[in-house]
Parts: sequence; C-alpha cells; structure tokens
Amino acid sequence: MNMTRLKVTFSMLMKEFYRNKAVMFFVLLFPILLMVLFGFIFSDQDEVQYILPIQNMDGGSHSWNFTQTLNDTGLFEIRLVDTDLDPYDYLLQQKTNTILVIPHGYQAEMDQIIIQRFIMGQPNNDTANLTLIIDPASTAAMVKTQMLDSLVGAINKGMAGVPDVIGMDIETTVSDQFKAIDFFAPGIIAMSVMTTALFGTVGMNTELRQKGILRKLATTPLTRAEWLVTNVLYQFVMGGLSTISIIIVGMILFGLQPQINLFLPLFIILNVFAFSGIGMLITRFVKDAESAQAAANAVMFPMMFLSGTFFPLEQMPDFLQTIAGFLPLYYVNEGLRSAMINPDMGVMAFNALVIGVVGIVMFILGILLTSWKDE
Amino acid sequence: MPKPAIQVRDLVKKYGDLSAVNCISFDVQRGQVFSFLGPNGAGKTTTVEMIETIRTPTSGHIDILGMELKKNRSSVLKRIGVLPQDFNSFDRLTVRETVKFFSGLFNGIRDVDELIKLVNLEDERDKLYMNLSGGLKQRVGIAVALVNDPEIVFLDEPTTGLDPRARHDVWDVIKGLKQRGKTVFLTTHYMEEAEVLSDYLAIISKGSIIAEGAPLELIDKHCNTIKMTIRGGPAEIENVVRERGLTLEDAANGDVTVQIEDNAQILDLLNLLKSRNLSYHSLDIRKATLEEVFLTLTGESLTGELAEEEPSTGELAEEEPSTDEQAGGMPLTGAPLTDNQATVEEPLTPGGDVQ
Repeated sequence: MNMTRLKVTFSMLMKEFYRNKAVMFFVLLFPILLMVLFGFIFSDQDEVQYILPIQNMDGGSHSWNFTQTLNDTGLFEIRLVDTDLDPYDYLLQQKTNTILVIPHGYQAEMDQIIIQRFIMGQPNNDTANLTLIIDPASTAAMVKTQMLDSLVGAINKGMAGVPDVIGMDIETTVSDQFKAIDFFAPGIIAMSVMTTALFGTVGMNTELRQKGILRKLATTPLTRAEWLVTNVLYQFVMGGLSTISIIIVGMILFGLQPQINLFLPLFIILNVFAFSGIGMLITRFVKDAESAQAAANAVMFPMMFLSGTFFPLEQMPDFLQTIAGFLPLYYVNEGLRSAMINPDMGVMAFNALVIGVVGIVMFILGILLTSWKDE
Repeated sequence: MPKPAIQVRDLVKKYGDLSAVNCISFDVQRGQVFSFLGPNGAGKTTTVEMIETIRTPTSGHIDILGMELKKNRSSVLKRIGVLPQDFNSFDRLTVRETVKFFSGLFNGIRDVDELIKLVNLEDERDKLYMNLSGGLKQRVGIAVALVNDPEIVFLDEPTTGLDPRARHDVWDVIKGLKQRGKTVFLTTHYMEEAEVLSDYLAIISKGSIIAEGAPLELIDKHCNTIKMTIRGGPAEIENVVRERGLTLEDAANGDVTVQIEDNAQILDLLNLLKSRNLSYHSLDIRKATLEEVFLTLTGESLTGELAEEEPSTGELAEEEPSTDEQAGGMPLTGAPLTDNQATVEEPLTPGGDVQ
C-alpha cells in the first residue's frame, strides 16, 4: 500500500466526481428526492405502531390505567390476550415476539407501595412488577423493550412527585415522539448508501474496463489492492454525502430528530464495505456493462423491499421476514434504526457485527478474486 | 554487445484450443524502433500485452532490460511506458491533470509541462479529455506513456482510427522518441507506418512470425522489383513493352505499369519510346513496398484457405477489438490490391467488419 498513490488516485476520483453532474445527482439529489417523496406519502400516518399483546391477569383499575396509558402514547397497537392462555404458548402460536403480562396481585402490591410511601411515609424500594416476555432473537422485541422501559421509567418518575397515578401526562414526559419519518429516514439512508456503493462500484469499474482504462492502470505501479481501497474510500465519501443530505432535508422538512452517535458513521462505513465488495464481485463475473447493471439491480431490489426499509418487517408475512434475515441490508436497517432512534448497545453491536463480517468477507473476496488482467 | 532491450523466447498464448500466439521468439535491440506488423487478429496485441504484463503467457520466456519478466514485474513496470490499444482516460480530467495523475502514480519523475510540450498539446492543456479529438487523445496517451521517462515505450496501434494529418503528428512524436534514444515497440497494421518508422520489423500472421528484418532488407529479399507506371500515353506503349520482353503488370486508361528488374531497363525503355515519338504525361517509378512483401509472403495461402478458417480468425479478432478500418490511411488489409488479389480483402479483415 503506497500512500502517495492512494492520495493521487483518490483526489483524481474526487475531481471527476465534482465535474460529473449525473453522479452528483445520484449521490446528492436522488436520496433527497426519495426522502421528500416518502416523507409526504407517510406524513398522514405520523406514528409507527408496534404491536404489543398484553395479558392482564390482575384486572384491577391500576392495571387498566397502565394499559390505557400505553395505548394513549400511540406507540403501540395494544392487543388484549385472554387470561386463560399460557403466555409462552401465545408467543409460539401467534408467532409474535413480545407479550406483556400484568401479574395477578399487581393492584394490591401497587396499593401497598403507595400507602407505605405516601400515606405512612415509609420509604422503601419495593416495586409492583410487570413481566415482559420477549423473543430474544427479535430486534423488534428489543425496540419494544426499550420503549416500554423508558415509558415505565417515565411513569415512575411521575409517581414520585405526584401521589395520584391516574391521569398522568405521558406526552410531556416522553420527549421523543416516534414518528414515521424517524422510522424510514434510517431506511432511506441505508438504501441510498447501498445503491451508491453498489452502482458506483459496478458503474465505475465496468466503464473503466470497457474504455481500457483499467488496462492502462495495470501497466502503472498502482496495484489492484490500492485501486480497490481507493474505490472504497471514494464510496465512503459518496455514502457520507448521501447521509448528510438526507438528514439535513429530513430535519428541515419533516422535523427528523436523529440521535447522532458513533454507530451512525460505523453503519455507513460497513454498508459501503459490504456493497462495494458485492459490486466488485459482480464486475468480476459479469463483464459487460449492461449485464452488470442488471445484476446490480437484481441485488438491489430485494434488499430495497424486503429488508424493512420503508415498513416495519413486523407488518410483512412470515416467510418474507425469514428471507429478510438473509439480506445484509436488513442488518444495516436494524442497526441504523437503533442508532438513530433509541440507541441500544446490544442491538447496534449485534447488527454491526453481522454486517461487518459480511462487509469484510465481500471486500476480501473482491480483492482476491479480481485482477487487473482481463482474461 | 549490450543485452537486447527485449528478448522473447518460445512465447505461446492459448485460449482453450485456440493458439493466439504460436511459439514466437524475437529480440528488440536498444534504441531501435521495432515494429510488429500484421493484420487484425494476427496476435500482435496479445503478444505485446504479454510483454506489458497485462496478459499471462501460456508458456515461454520474456526478458526485459535483462530482467526476467515473471519475477520482476514491478521493477519492469517502472522502466517501461505503455500506450495500450484504444487508449482512453478519465473523461473529466484536463490534459494536464491526466498527465499529472499518471505521473503521480510513478512518483512524478518527469516534468508534466515538459511532457505536454513534447507531444504538442500546450494549447489543449486545460481542456477536458472528453472534449479532445481522437488524434489529441492519442497524444495524451503518448505523454502518459512517458511520465516515468521509460527506457522502452510500447505503442499498440497508436494511429488506428486517426485521420492522415493526426497520424503524421503521431509519427513525428515517435521519431522524436527515437532521437532521444528510447527503444520503441510499435504494433501496427499500417504498412506505410512500419516502413516509415521502423529500424527493424517482424511480420506476424496467424500467431507466428513469418519474416523479420530491416524494412529495406525485407523488400530486397522478398520483392526485389521496381515498378514503373507510364501515365497518359497512347495504347502503342503496351506493344513496345511487350516487344522489349518486359513484364506488363497492368494497363488501363492509358496508364501502363511495368515490372523492372534492372535499372538499365528503365533508360532503355524510355529511349525507345522517345525514338518512336511516343509521348506520355508523366512517369512514376517506385520500389516495392512492405505491402507487396506481405502479399508475397502470405498471398498464396491467403486466397483460398483463409475463407475456410474465417471463424477461428474471427474469434481471434475479438481479442483485439474495435479497429477502425474505415478511418482512411493505408491499412494493410484494405490496401489497393490488384484485381486477382482483391478477393483476399474480405477474409483478411474479420475484425474490421465488427465495427
């Protein structure tokens, strides 16, 4: 790896990009267009709802109040589960990932705590416990857990200051409203970065091969690995530009309030790695430009629609959800969503790991399998 | 005696059952312009690209500047300059930026502006590559091939598709390279180009070298005749020619072409015409060209057999794509042939028709 050659090649590519209006459009304006388009399509349903089955074994007024409070947030579509059923059976039979059980005696326990703390003035650490049963493999369950956790936290906070549980104002205590835009902005970022990296890599390499420029580069000291690394660096910049333009437009037009943390750039980088790698492999095996474009499309479309870019996967049929599990973009979507909405180290780390492994494998295959020589 | 710049021994390149290059050997001496001459699909580019390290030989040895190519790829690359066939560069870089970029890959050995001056592109320095004409693009390619001040410069069909004027500009640059002591490895299918530029040439046909030597040597050896054309005279001149026992090659529209074996025959014939008061418009006396050498060497086998072999030749031609046969000039294959040889034209140029 020679740094001078990397630098020379990289700045050359950037100059080309700066002067190429078509690529400029694809990288900057196209994602914005998508964002605006979907922003308006989804603007009437301003909240995305997660399904939350609740089994109320207690039946007292506190438990109903709590259920009502959850319902009022609009974050959940509450489904009441028959008290005769075993909650674990329900999870299995309904193929759902979460069930919230309000245990028998919740009312009594809660009353006792309130009496002790507020009437008799005896501080204690007792709590009236709810049971949340989740499928640990489901990322949607992780999201729900996070949301419930913060809601319960908010309710507890409220209880410490206000003796009366009923009539608590949730809206003011949960500061971040979870709007549709918050849900699909990460999806659009993941998708734009994927298309830029995939089509950018395929387009550039087939064009340069067809024009014989790769053949010329092969007779210079620039090595194949140096060329590929420069390509990926270039795609990072493109991905970054797409991301920034989407976030800015989302914030201005649709009140997007993304969480900004280190996982956001990490997922962009891993996304670029994975899909530039796939792009390299496509150009390795599909030589002419048109077929390579077609192959890239064949990779892109399932990713676009099946990996939860625009809709929560929960709303899709089971078999599609199973397929999604095999699509790299799914993990970018899940991870990026977690990073931008409700950062959860476990969710982010797991998804980063999956997409990181895919990215590194693709990239290494790309370097190993492609060569300057076209024979 | 110094080692040759390039030594090729028993070089073979096979694609499946097809031999694109069939066990060829040759030397290129330092400081010479060496031409590889042959029709499309003969194996020129395949050979030169094996020497340029773009293709891997099936078998054989290549030594460049005394180094074995296989083991010294990166050292060799630093000392050679390559203009690939159908050279192209990044559309949206200016001429100067293009040369600078490639120069940067070699750590900038030569001054960029000096190179641009060398190929006469000072006026186009700040134009985008995509806006240049074909001839100018080729000159950018030559400048790029020189960024590392190479000892050997490979030019693969540098003038294909250029108009005659642009072609002569490129020739001037090549002559300049020779004056600077560079070894130039030129591949071309233009006879005239090889004849004007080369010190030494090898004629390649169907993957094998069929003749090699200095241009004049080859002409003397294979086609040692002079042709004289008497233009704009009366029909009786034909009779005089026959009377003298000379070979009449062609007679049409008052132009008579005669084969001359000995310079004395010219004077003799002219004196005879004068004594009979047969006047004519002009005289044209010329030695055979490489064109005729090639036809002499390959003509026999080309006429009948090649038509049958066309499919295989066609496949080979795909290895050397997009050679613009229509672009004027004097390509070997579309050259002015005599009538009975004209049938050769079609089968010889399967690659040319692809365009």
